[in-house]
Amino acid sequence: MPPNVENDDKETDPVKQRYLLPAIILLFILGIALSNSTNVEAADQENCLMCHKYPDLALIDADGHVKNFYINEHIFLNSLHGQVACRGCHSYIKKFPHDTENQKVNCGNICHIKPPWAEENFSHKKIIGVFESSIHAIKPGDSPLMKKSDPVCKYCHLNPLYKQVETIDYSKTLARCLNCHKRKGVTLAYRHIMHRLRRKTSRSSQEIVALCAGCHGNVPLMKKLGLPERAVTAVNTYKESVHGQMVALGSEKAADCINCHASSLLHDIYKPDNPKSSVNEKNLQTTCKNCHKKINKYFVKIAVHPSLEDPHNPFLFILNNFVLRLILYGTVFGLMGLLFMETYRRKKDGANMKLKSGTSWRKKKK
Amino acid sequence: MTASIDETTRRGPIPETLPEDYFTDVPGVGNIPRDIYKHVKSNPYGDLPRYSAHIVLQHILIFTTFITLAATGIPLHYAHLFWAPYVISIFGGIDNAQLIHRSAAFVMIGACVYHVLTIVASTIYKIIKKEFDIRRTQVPLPKDLFDIIHDVKYFLGIEPFRPKMEKFMYKQKLHYLAILWGSFVLIFAGTALLYPEKIVLLWPFDPSFIQDLARIMHADEAILALIVIAFWHLSNVHIVPGRYPAQWTVFTGRITREHQIEEHFLEYLRNLEEIPEEREYMRSVLSELGYAEKKGGPE
Repeated sequence: MPPNVENDDKETDPVKQRYLLPAIILLFILGIALSNSTNVEAADQENCLMCHKYPDLALIDADGHVKNFYINEHIFLNSLHGQVACRGCHSYIKKFPHDTENQKVNCGNICHIKPPWAEENFSHKKIIGVFESSIHAIKPGDSPLMKKSDPVCKYCHLNPLYKQVETIDYSKTLARCLNCHKRKGVTLAYRHIMHRLRRKTSRSSQEIVALCAGCHGNVPLMKKLGLPERAVTAVNTYKESVHGQMVALGSEKAADCINCHASSLLHDIYKPDNPKSSVNEKNLQTTCKNCHKKINKYFVKIAVHPSLEDPHNPFLFILNNFVLRLILYGTVFGLMGLLFMETYRRKKDGANMKLKSGTSWRKKKK
Repeated sequence: MTASIDETTRRGPIPETLPEDYFTDVPGVGNIPRDIYKHVKSNPYGDLPRYSAHIVLQHILIFTTFITLAATGIPLHYAHLFWAPYVISIFGGIDNAQLIHRSAAFVMIGACVYHVLTIVASTIYKIIKKEFDIRRTQVPLPKDLFDIIHDVKYFLGIEPFRPKMEKFMYKQKLHYLAILWGSFVLIFAGTALLYPEKIVLLWPFDPSFIQDLARIMHADEAILALIVIAFWHLSNVHIVPGRYPAQWTVFTGRITREHQIEEHFLEYLRNLEEIPEEREYMRSVLSELGYAEKKGGPE
């Protein structure tokens, strides 16, 4: 204790005594409030929530659709982009209040956020460059329908909430990072990255298949877009395969769509005839080797999208749909018919169900 | 010798005309009527030997692994139906279920090898001791075809009695052959699915065909086996009259006397030769009915 406090104790000051307990309680409450509000100052530096905090902030557009612009502060602050200021992405907003007609968000913007491990500001530009070269990018020669159907960043990336890292001890691993890094930056980076390091994506294999099937499972749309036959039926044939069956039951080991169709860049999806494609004939062995370690040049010829309806494979089609079914029904109904006939005759001959007092052929009571 | 039927002791309807082979004359025992099984006493846990301890153990191994394999494999085949994930969740997820399926498969293959070794060893032993008789084995013989026709006639009421059949009647032989073919297909197709990179070397001309064939055959054969066992085999051994609610042969390896005489009459005659106690018992039953062989000649 500092010496001046001891002096104060001797001369009791009534004012100090009266406010001492409330002051301690107040400081205590303030302390709790401050310690729990680490994120508050981050995203909304420009007070956008002054208007966007109202749940009914919406407008009806020319097509008659209601568009809601409500931002739930608590959800947004805990999302992956919780630390990015609103105008970090909505950079076209220059005045206040802003226009109701706005541009779309550009994910290629350079953020005003520095990751704790780098000198320059963060940007998605590099991965967008990969995406722009892929089959999913809008190309100049595309039909208007194709341009409309091609996915944009936001089709897959929904700004999800931070996921809990359940399989590893969060605090223990983080403690080692904190040996060198500052708590604020590295905690955010850790939460951002960890669920991606453990798995290829933050989505489960099942969710990936559902995401891709959202468009590719729509057979009429795929036909309209002029995709080749194997691409139109791709979702159905995948679901028929062992990979598809495993993933449908929640396997994380079996291959989903992007395990084969993209490299670790995830966005580099090309047509199979493109030499850069991971499913190009020359790259198949490398792609398969990600899971199947001991493969050979014949292995990659096995159909990953098998189709028994394939007109090139009449043998398997007839075998599966006629021969095996005939054997199945013939065997089952034949044997069951024999069984019923046998039981009927033996009952008629006097057999009882239970073997009681040494015989099942006892006389019936008259 | 002419023996007649005692009308008062007969049970069940009496056929109008008796077939020529109604009585079987066994020296030292007497004239055994074909429907003697309606008069004998049986222990539900079995009276006469049918399966050795090896066979009982093999059966236990096969059916436990079969249930495990079906429970982990069938949901995968029907992965897109609503109930499949619930069944798989019993095993702690599909990746665990896959491991369990493969382990159970290896145990089942082990049981198959054990069975083949047992059969080969005991056959060699019997040949050396000159006791081997092909009629007491599972080998299909022309007689089985005639037995089926005779038995169907009995079911339809044309024949008054069932055929006199061996230790393994046509039902067992059909089932055994089906298991032989089924395990051959399942083991080969399963190997093709488990080691696709090795199997393509056997047929490098069209790897896709082999893999698809294996996938179809593995699933189809498994479903066929499951349906046949769930509906036919289980009801045939446990639910039909005289066996309900359970036949204990599966664990005791012994068959009830009335079952042996009814369905495996020729094997029962061999039991009479081999087991003196059984001979004594049958003679006492026959003397009650008046068919026993008296000392110094038949009745």
